[in-house]
Amino acid sequence: MLSPSVLLLVITSVYPFFWLFRYVLYDYNGFVAYFTGTYNIKRAFTDAVFWKSVLHTFEYAIGKLILIIPISLGLAVFISRNLPGSNTFRIIFFLPTVISASVYSLIFTFIFAVFRGPLNTVLEAMNLITRPIDWLGDPKWVMKSIIVVAVWGGLGNYMIYFISGLSSISEEIYESCMIDGANGTQTFFKITLPMLSPILKVILLLAITTAFKDYQSILVLTNGGPDGRSHVMFSYIYNLIFAAFSSPQIGYATVLSVLAALIIGVITAGYLYLARKLDDVF
Amino acid sequence: MSSANYIRSNKQKAVIWALTIFIGFCALLLLYPVIYISLGSFKENKELLLGGANLLPKRFVLENYTQAWQNANFSVYTKNSFFLGIGTMILTVIISSMSGYVFSRKDFKYKELLYSTFVAFMFVNVGSVTLRPLFELAVKLKMNTSLVSVVLILVGTGQATFIFLNRGFVNTIPKELDEAAKIDGCTFFQTFYRILFPLLKPITATIALLSFRGGWNEYILPLVFTMSNDSMRPLTVGVNMLRNVGDGAAAWNIVFAGATMAILPMIVIYLIFSRHFMQGMTAGAVKG
Repeated sequence: MLSPSVLLLVITSVYPFFWLFRYVLYDYNGFVAYFTGTYNIKRAFTDAVFWKSVLHTFEYAIGKLILIIPISLGLAVFISRNLPGSNTFRIIFFLPTVISASVYSLIFTFIFAVFRGPLNTVLEAMNLITRPIDWLGDPKWVMKSIIVVAVWGGLGNYMIYFISGLSSISEEIYESCMIDGANGTQTFFKITLPMLSPILKVILLLAITTAFKDYQSILVLTNGGPDGRSHVMFSYIYNLIFAAFSSPQIGYATVLSVLAALIIGVITAGYLYLARKLDDVF
Repeated sequence: MSSANYIRSNKQKAVIWALTIFIGFCALLLLYPVIYISLGSFKENKELLLGGANLLPKRFVLENYTQAWQNANFSVYTKNSFFLGIGTMILTVIISSMSGYVFSRKDFKYKELLYSTFVAFMFVNVGSVTLRPLFELAVKLKMNTSLVSVVLILVGTGQATFIFLNRGFVNTIPKELDEAAKIDGCTFFQTFYRILFPLLKPITATIALLSFRGGWNEYILPLVFTMSNDSMRPLTVGVNMLRNVGDGAAAWNIVFAGATMAILPMIVIYLIFSRHFMQGMTAGAVKG
């Protein structure tokens, strides 16, 4: 009864993983593979576009986390108070998570449209900008726009995680706080946050690993443009393998994939180490 | 933590009202893109090309949908999306409940090792590069011309979380039930599909919804597998391809209608079963 699962695991996860290492030393375009020794590895370390995409990955992940965690936590705290309308809010804020990232990204390309797009129209009407902004084409703005889309699509998830975390904090603690005369801010920082910290740690771990792996909506929004300004590691790698207009460089892409996985691994390990250190302090 | 029934001062009430209005405004802002695209799909193309932030169409037309359905192949895309969603759902429900049952009830050699392999591959992520060997494998097996391979890959890469959910749920069912069934002459498998599986209903509903969403919403995998085969594309791929067609601007109305078709079924399902969706998310995150 276990065999279908195991079979699928081997074919779809284990096999591709080991396949990766097969072409590390080859130049492989999908049809023929030439042995090139350590060339791919040397190239990886001198590939400025790749290392820029690594930087962009950090820019994207940090930007997304800084926004999405406080916003979703704030929403969760508010919704957990069960005021009138809370349930409606919960349903609305979770709604983007059931929509495909590829489709909501497509929708946002219309929202961000330069010429009389809804966003520019509204901002111009409010006199906040004088000229339309090229949200997805201006190197200054593109990453910020992508982060906004990512926050839009993901905050419902983290909100639900936080709500379930908050529901595990018992009512009596809050009551005794009120009796002791603590105000809302004090209660939040002295009670809610510390009591939430075990779950917060898991949520942060999830948030960090997802943020570093995201690339689907970037493919749709900009496909890395303008001029590679919005390429993250995985969108760059995707284009090396499945590019429509140039021949695929699969061997090189496998080297970069291993590098990317290592980078994410180091960050995850670093986070886990830090989280444990913080445990000792508090 | 419902604190709504505590006595509050007027000042506190005012703060809560202000917050509610602010969050309500944010909620509307959040919904704007979805409403913009759905109502926009009833606008005439020339109105869409003019742009602006208006939500309501000046003139309400249905022809975007008839065009998309008849001329732009969207009837086929919709059928494919349903195939991906339902196929992934059925297969995931069957194999993940069986595996969860075995992992919970049976002891065998290397069980822990196998279990940790499932966990490990949930976290190992090397990105899109793994699609290449899978695609080559599908070509070798002559399965690259059918969406069945896409379903199998989706089920295979997504099954781990669902196996853990099922295992956790089976753990909560008393073992005496199995023993009673055994005494009555049920085999291990019969115990599963006569006794245990019907009891798994709550978790099965959640898994069915989440896996359907996974299949319906998947983009990159079907994109890679249908590079040269338009008739196999699901809505997510079809609507994005349309945008890349040379004179994209001329087809805006069809893109709007197509995007609405891609999101609306999911939203309707979500609104009906929203509780299951949210329960599934938290259960998966905390236990998985």
